[in-house]
Amino acid sequence: MKKKKLIVFAFLALLIVLVAIFAKWLCPYDPYEQDLSASYQAPSFIHVMGTDAYGRDMFSRVIIGGQVSILATLLLVGIISISGTCIGIISGFFGGTVDMIVMRISDLCLAFPGLVFALAVAAILGGGVWNAVVALALISWPKYSRVARGLTLSIKDSTYVAAARLAGDNSFQLIGRHILPNIIGPILVTAMLDIGTMMMELAGLSFLGLGAQPPVAEWGSMMSNGRSMLQTYPWVVLSPGIAIFISVVIFNLFGDTVRDAIDPKSNRTK
Amino acid sequence: MKKLVALMLAATMTIATFVGCGASNKEEKHASTGSKVFVFGDTTFNAENEEATIDPHDTYCGWPAVRYGVGETLFKFNDSMELEPWLAESYENVDDLTWKVTLKDGVTFSNGNVVDAEAVKACIEDLVAVHERAAGDLAIDSIEADGLTLTIKTTTPKPTLINYLCDPYGAIIDVTAGNEGGIVVGTGPFVATDLVTGDHINLVKNDNYWDGDVKLDEVKVITISDGDTLAMALQNGDIDAAYGMAYASYPIFENDDYTFTSTSTSRVFYLQMNYNSDIIADDAVRAAIAMGIDKESFVDTLLNGYGYVGAGAYPDSFPFGKGVNVQTYDPEGAKKVLEDAGWKDSDGDGIREKDGKKLSINWVSYPSRQELPLLAESAQASLNDIGIDVQLNITPDHGTIVSEKDGWDVYGAAFVTCGIGDPMYFFSTHCLADSTKNRGSYSSTDLDALAAEMNETFDTDARSDIAIKMQQQILDDNAFVFCSFLKMSMISKANVTGLVAHPCDYYEITADLDIE
Amino acid sequence: MKYIITRIIQVIPILFAITFLSFAMMRLAGSDVVEQKMLNTGQVISENQLIAAKQELGLDRPFLVQYFSWLGKLLHGDMGTSYVSGMNVFDTFISKLPATILLTISSIVFTVIISIPLGISSAVYQNKFTDYVIRFFSFIGNSLPNFFVSLVLMYFLAIKLRWLPIICREVNLNNIIMPTITLGIAMSAKYIRQVRATVLDELSKDYVIGAKARGVKFSTILWNSVIRQSLVTIITLLALSIGSLLGGTAIVESIFMWDGVGKMAVDAISMRDYPIIQAYVMWMAIIYVMVNLVTDLSYRFLDPRIRLGDAQS
Repeated sequence: MKKKKLIVFAFLALLIVLVAIFAKWLCPYDPYEQDLSASYQAPSFIHVMGTDAYGRDMFSRVIIGGQVSILATLLLVGIISISGTCIGIISGFFGGTVDMIVMRISDLCLAFPGLVFALAVAAILGGGVWNAVVALALISWPKYSRVARGLTLSIKDSTYVAAARLAGDNSFQLIGRHILPNIIGPILVTAMLDIGTMMMELAGLSFLGLGAQPPVAEWGSMMSNGRSMLQTYPWVVLSPGIAIFISVVIFNLFGDTVRDAIDPKSNRTK
Repeated sequence: MKKLVALMLAATMTIATFVGCGASNKEEKHASTGSKVFVFGDTTFNAENEEATIDPHDTYCGWPAVRYGVGETLFKFNDSMELEPWLAESYENVDDLTWKVTLKDGVTFSNGNVVDAEAVKACIEDLVAVHERAAGDLAIDSIEADGLTLTIKTTTPKPTLINYLCDPYGAIIDVTAGNEGGIVVGTGPFVATDLVTGDHINLVKNDNYWDGDVKLDEVKVITISDGDTLAMALQNGDIDAAYGMAYASYPIFENDDYTFTSTSTSRVFYLQMNYNSDIIADDAVRAAIAMGIDKESFVDTLLNGYGYVGAGAYPDSFPFGKGVNVQTYDPEGAKKVLEDAGWKDSDGDGIREKDGKKLSINWVSYPSRQELPLLAESAQASLNDIGIDVQLNITPDHGTIVSEKDGWDVYGAAFVTCGIGDPMYFFSTHCLADSTKNRGSYSSTDLDALAAEMNETFDTDARSDIAIKMQQQILDDNAFVFCSFLKMSMISKANVTGLVAHPCDYYEITADLDIE
Repeated sequence: MKYIITRIIQVIPILFAITFLSFAMMRLAGSDVVEQKMLNTGQVISENQLIAAKQELGLDRPFLVQYFSWLGKLLHGDMGTSYVSGMNVFDTFISKLPATILLTISSIVFTVIISIPLGISSAVYQNKFTDYVIRFFSFIGNSLPNFFVSLVLMYFLAIKLRWLPIICREVNLNNIIMPTITLGIAMSAKYIRQVRATVLDELSKDYVIGAKARGVKFSTILWNSVIRQSLVTIITLLALSIGSLLGGTAIVESIFMWDGVGKMAVDAISMRDYPIIQAYVMWMAIIYVMVNLVTDLSYRFLDPRIRLGDAQS
């Protein structure tokens, strides 16, 4: 049962990623082709999700927007989870001055408001999705390094690590054999559940005009640009909204099932 | 388990109480003792528009002073932007350098002080001492005051002196009353009580108003920068009228519960070409851009028809807005022009090249005028069709970018070309060597000659003729593309009367404004 | 005790680093204030005037000199004047602080009221209908941007039902509801998951299984042990989120025109009003560092193993 669930959600998550990768070939229309005579058309068989102010096909834009949103989010989460984990393990394992410096830097990053940081990055590098990713990555990694450090600390002091150390394992062997395998699960789960949050953060930056620049289709900016049409042409804002919703739900459920699968405790309750 | 249910029930009830309280408190707002309060939602009273206070002698703060009925100028414009008396009765152009202005009798400031020639002299002298734009426009040499008569001498011939005095900076204030907290004492139907730019300004009726009864007791202007908040606040009744509604929200209000007041204005959405850029310096590229913009679809579709297709720098409601020849939307023609000039798509990516250089332009614009991003994004697509790649940079920081010579090619902006009813204004600000807004270093000896002629000409009809020639010159050079003019609209609840949109865009709240 | 002092001392360099970072960033990112101001007014000014204006603001001095003079003033509570309104930054900031704090408290109360009962129910009825319904709504709340939730709430509560005002400028009960609900929904959506996970974790502990085996009534176990145990973790998590909540109010405040620090920051960002932005950065930094310090210290007393580990290294 559990395995089946895992396979289903893994398949759905993979499907989303595949759609994002092959978006170009899946669009029924050119997502950037304007036709002002066909603006604000309600959903129909010709335009499944209707058209926007410029007469662009919403369905195509949602698909191509997924490419930007999903891939940007996955890239962001990938970068911060890997770098954050490495830093956290090093910091927790070696302790001392390294630990102190790393933790203070991470405090610094966490303490700096993301909004302001994104603004500064946008002002220095210019606006755009990828710069927004850079801005968020620079300040979001400490979340992972904290998780990784905490776990490392508690594992480091456990009896089996002490035993391995007595048996003559060096630091790299200890990290590779004992610490990493025990950390990877919780980190993976955190990352899965983080996908939704990061997607929201990118959307929030778009709302403030610090994210994607026109005409790039990105779900967050499509929603924020279309928000004044909620009452008049709801499909313009609901289509990307539903897309965000579905993908966040799938990644979250996938994360949940992964956690259930790797967490021995939750097996016991069943 | 019962406890759990009880807890949830308690939670729900707490929320319900919260919401319930809210509902019952709602009534108080309109039930106050018969005093008429008008709440106006506005997008403009903020620092982005250089409106930090309502002191007309500071930057553009005269705009809110006149808009919200605090300040009044010596003369004002009628609906066809012709001069009419306001605080002044009449004027006389004695010679090239001398003007005589006669004030109305019985006008007072809101604090009761009399508006006589001395007071006006003091006000204008303070204005030109602290406001550089005004000092340049007015070029005042000396002012003499005698009873109700002012004699103004200028250092150079200023055919449009009286028009310039109608600019909001010319609002007459009592300079002896100071400007505590940015609040000045004017002559208008309302008196400001407190203000915070970007947030609100509260006004009360001026009991001493010199020109009849003021119908409202109180006016609250609230700055609402978010378009949805503005729309929903009007729907909800939090505000009685709104300025600057997003076009996409118009359909919500196109029914009997609301009134639209619209007028054509001379606020033009235009493109300025940067001659410092090698690509733009190519005549063919500018011509192709001018031909590649579908102005009609932009106005009809993206502005919901609330606009006028632009030709020259002025709307055709002005005598000098007629009779210019302009490129029409002609994508095939544009392709041919580029082709002939050697811009060809040799690598098949849809974008033309010449001498190994891609035909890619940087288009800079800003978001606070909602029309500009729409124009930019629609032009991006139509120019792409003719083989021009357009990179958009739409940012509140636009001013810094276009103040540099390099780094941008086309600037999409908005400007009130005829704010003072005279056609020289646009040219003196945008097209001459010493123009502050000649960002693209445009220069034309023919235009300079026409400008010199204009500065010497006092006759209105003759000025119109020169203005038409000048427009034709910049259009032939494709130095500017005038895409559309704003049809300015205010939307109010149906029970609001006396809110009338004016072409100059700065007469809004008047003594006649009322709620039934 | 010694640890507490060391930890507090450690905080100081962070705050200094933040002042430096924010100052450097603003100088790097920001265009020249003087020029920008002149550009906006459309005035023609001479080179001399420009230089004089820069001298007046001290912009002609070397970067580090500017920084230390700025820092010196900052330590005296002088954060300069806003480029936009010309008003004292510190006063402006202090005047807007109560509104934000009030909104934060009300949202936390709302979040607690919503998420703790729902999170517990969701855990207790794991994989039952109730659980699915609660999780579904928590997903919705979790996957919609704040601004969208705000819009939908405005549409239903203020326009369809006409219960609440749209413009929430003045601080009163009537006005705080919508921003509270908006923030609370987003927070609760996240929080329900955490509560659920914590309770599930607790439920799977040996003593629960043991008690069940001994035939103790489930509701007794739940109320007497599980919830009590979980609450510690839950409250710690909540305390940790105060920081992010105080920061997260920006967009919501700005939509509802709630006159707090967040709206001030968004306005300042769009106007590039750097003194105000810097005040906001400092505020966020102080909040974050303080909350973190407190949680860090409390953890040390809760988990003796960390203390031991630290002493060894």
